[in-house]
Amino acid sequence: MTAITHWIHRLSPQTLAGRRTLVGYIFISPFILGFLLWFLLPAVTALWLAVNDWNLIRPPRFVGADNFLKMGTDRLFWQSLKVTTVFSIISVPVGLVLSFLLALLMNTKVRGIAFFRTVYYLPSIVPAVASAVLWAWILNTEFGLLNVLLQALGLPKVPWLQDPEWALPALILMSLWGLGGSMIIYLAGLQGIPETYYEAARIDGAGRWAQLRHITIPLMSPIIFFNLIMGIIGSFQIFTAGYLVTNGGPQNATLFYVLYLYRNGFEYLDMGYAAALAWILFFIILALTLFVFKYVGRMVHYEISP
Amino acid sequence: MNTRKLSRRTFLQMTGLAVAGSALVACSPAPGAGSQTGAQAGAAQEVVEISFMGWGNPGEDQGVRNAIAKFEEETPGIKVKWLHTPENYQEKFLANVAAGTPPDTAFIGSGDFRTYARDGLLLDITDKLEADPLLGAEDYFIQPQERDRCTYQGRWYGIGSCWVAPHLYVNVDIFEAEGIEPPSNDPDEAWTWDYFLEVARQLTVDANGNHPGDSGFDVENVERWGVHWPTWWIPLHAAITSNKGDWIDPDTQLLILDQPPAIEAIQAIADLMLVHQVMPQSTVMESLGMSNTQMLDTGKLAMAVDGSWALDWMKEIESTLGTGVLPMMVEPATNMQAHLHSALAATKHPEEAWQWVRFLSTPFYQTQFCRTGLWLPSQTALLTEEGLKTWITEGVHPPEYEKIATEYLPRFGHVLYMPPGYPKVDAIITPALDAVWVGDMTAEEALTQAVPDANAILSEELSRS
Repeated sequence: MTAITHWIHRLSPQTLAGRRTLVGYIFISPFILGFLLWFLLPAVTALWLAVNDWNLIRPPRFVGADNFLKMGTDRLFWQSLKVTTVFSIISVPVGLVLSFLLALLMNTKVRGIAFFRTVYYLPSIVPAVASAVLWAWILNTEFGLLNVLLQALGLPKVPWLQDPEWALPALILMSLWGLGGSMIIYLAGLQGIPETYYEAARIDGAGRWAQLRHITIPLMSPIIFFNLIMGIIGSFQIFTAGYLVTNGGPQNATLFYVLYLYRNGFEYLDMGYAAALAWILFFIILALTLFVFKYVGRMVHYEISP
Repeated sequence: MNTRKLSRRTFLQMTGLAVAGSALVACSPAPGAGSQTGAQAGAAQEVVEISFMGWGNPGEDQGVRNAIAKFEEETPGIKVKWLHTPENYQEKFLANVAAGTPPDTAFIGSGDFRTYARDGLLLDITDKLEADPLLGAEDYFIQPQERDRCTYQGRWYGIGSCWVAPHLYVNVDIFEAEGIEPPSNDPDEAWTWDYFLEVARQLTVDANGNHPGDSGFDVENVERWGVHWPTWWIPLHAAITSNKGDWIDPDTQLLILDQPPAIEAIQAIADLMLVHQVMPQSTVMESLGMSNTQMLDTGKLAMAVDGSWALDWMKEIESTLGTGVLPMMVEPATNMQAHLHSALAATKHPEEAWQWVRFLSTPFYQTQFCRTGLWLPSQTALLTEEGLKTWITEGVHPPEYEKIATEYLPRFGHVLYMPPGYPKVDAIITPALDAVWVGDMTAEEALTQAVPDANAILSEELSRS
């Protein structure tokens, strides 16, 4: 330790402020290193690859914008974009509302609430691969839990993973399994709302609905906004379910964008095209995020701390 | 004295630079690295270690280990490091190649071989092979298939591990009970398609004892199915070549699945389900929740088409197992293929790598897997009366099974070479065929639509060459 402080003394500007700045940088250096090594360098490499034709074996060959122009006529590119967009449009809002409702439910003061919070949170810490395997069984047409339940209710069996019409809804259903994470974030937010607000509202004669509408939702709006952004980013990067449960089928009904990207890189040996796809995905997500910030961000109510 | 010292140092510096330089460009292996016999002569005492990367189930894993033990015993001075990669082999293999650390020798999938050979990834072993007294003999391998599958533009870049081919598996007890003669392993006795349909119809029975075509036949309640013919490329290619069609035109390297012989054959397989009702649809297979082996064993199925490799587990069934050649549309035919063993062009030990690849192509390694039913030989020495005795095994191979290896495969086996860029085409062809199997489209509709799209991709890949 003394050696380090000695070194700082020697290297840093002789002002206290300068020294503090340096110490600060040293403290955040793990992140900076990580950012450079695991994000910036790969991203720049991918940009270089995107303007090359590279099949992992031959030396890369410069092809300019060819990889980007190819997407226009690539049927599977548009299919994967469509599948991913549909997935996102449905799973994000549904997930947002459901996890919010769950958090409200978990915010009540009943006996054993800690147990229920744990139970609802557990699925989201199960590794993605394990839950994919689990859901492949739940969704099995003949022996799956879901169809057994449907039949018990007198409903017909659904060919969840065989029918192109049903496969994507099945994976959307599966994605709701991981709600626990956003539920916990909401819960933390809910518990940060001072009880005095509710008391004052009750004295003024506000009912439950009015309390929710005028106190809870406005105060929670930054957190809802955060979960919305994270949900959009996450949903566009969905991969595991499509890779493990359906492998993009049946008839490309679950060919997610990142799955198609992965196939181009490692199955079709077209790394340049895969890198170009990755950059396009980056811009799609960036555009969506900026759009949401601009138009939805206005509705966010930030509490000014007294 | 001084100058000599100096020059040696300069020489070492130059060498160091050259090595560093080659490490930098290791991503693009120089084709045909020069022989290093000079360097090796001085290091006769040194043990060279080469790596061998491959996939395989636990049985195959053990087989490779046995082979390494025997090879190291016979060839002092060479050690082989086995990099067993049962999952995601291609990704891991290519990641190593791209990182500049390729293995010295490796399994190469038959579908990837041409791409890798074209791109200079594999070591040209033509001269070593032709100079070899044993392997270089004119009739050492089943020809012309071996030369066809191992050469690219006339040069050898690997040696096939074995051959495997689809054929019929039958439950002999059912045939005896119904008084029908089971199919033969002799291709000259192959059933005609019409006779096959009739047998399959007779062997398909619903819960009330009705057969397909009888009034009142209930396809929803079938007790026993006549046949199961898997619809992935290997069994499908067997049917197509039997109708004198093909998957890929060897000259143009483009798909010809949209030509009449292929369309007819594909429709004939779909009709087994859709028209003749002698084969279960995939949804029915799934609802049974049984493999074809279990179905055959329990009498739910009378005949199963599967690869010869399946004998490795089919041999375990309780019922009497029989095998036979596939029924023919125009002429007897089956598909034959297998992965290859190759040395990589980037290896620093081309001679040792060749020694190992060569050893894998001698009888010891192949007979190990032929004995369990997993493989069929590619070496003619294993097809002679003496040779057959070394691997045909009581309790594994049904009576007269050797005819599959000695007659059916060499005379009627067709190798399908996937051209570079094929994997991407799969993403177009598979969904098109899926629509045919469920009856949403005819083979003609689906393939005349999909093949031009797929060929556009293949043409683009050819232009990348």
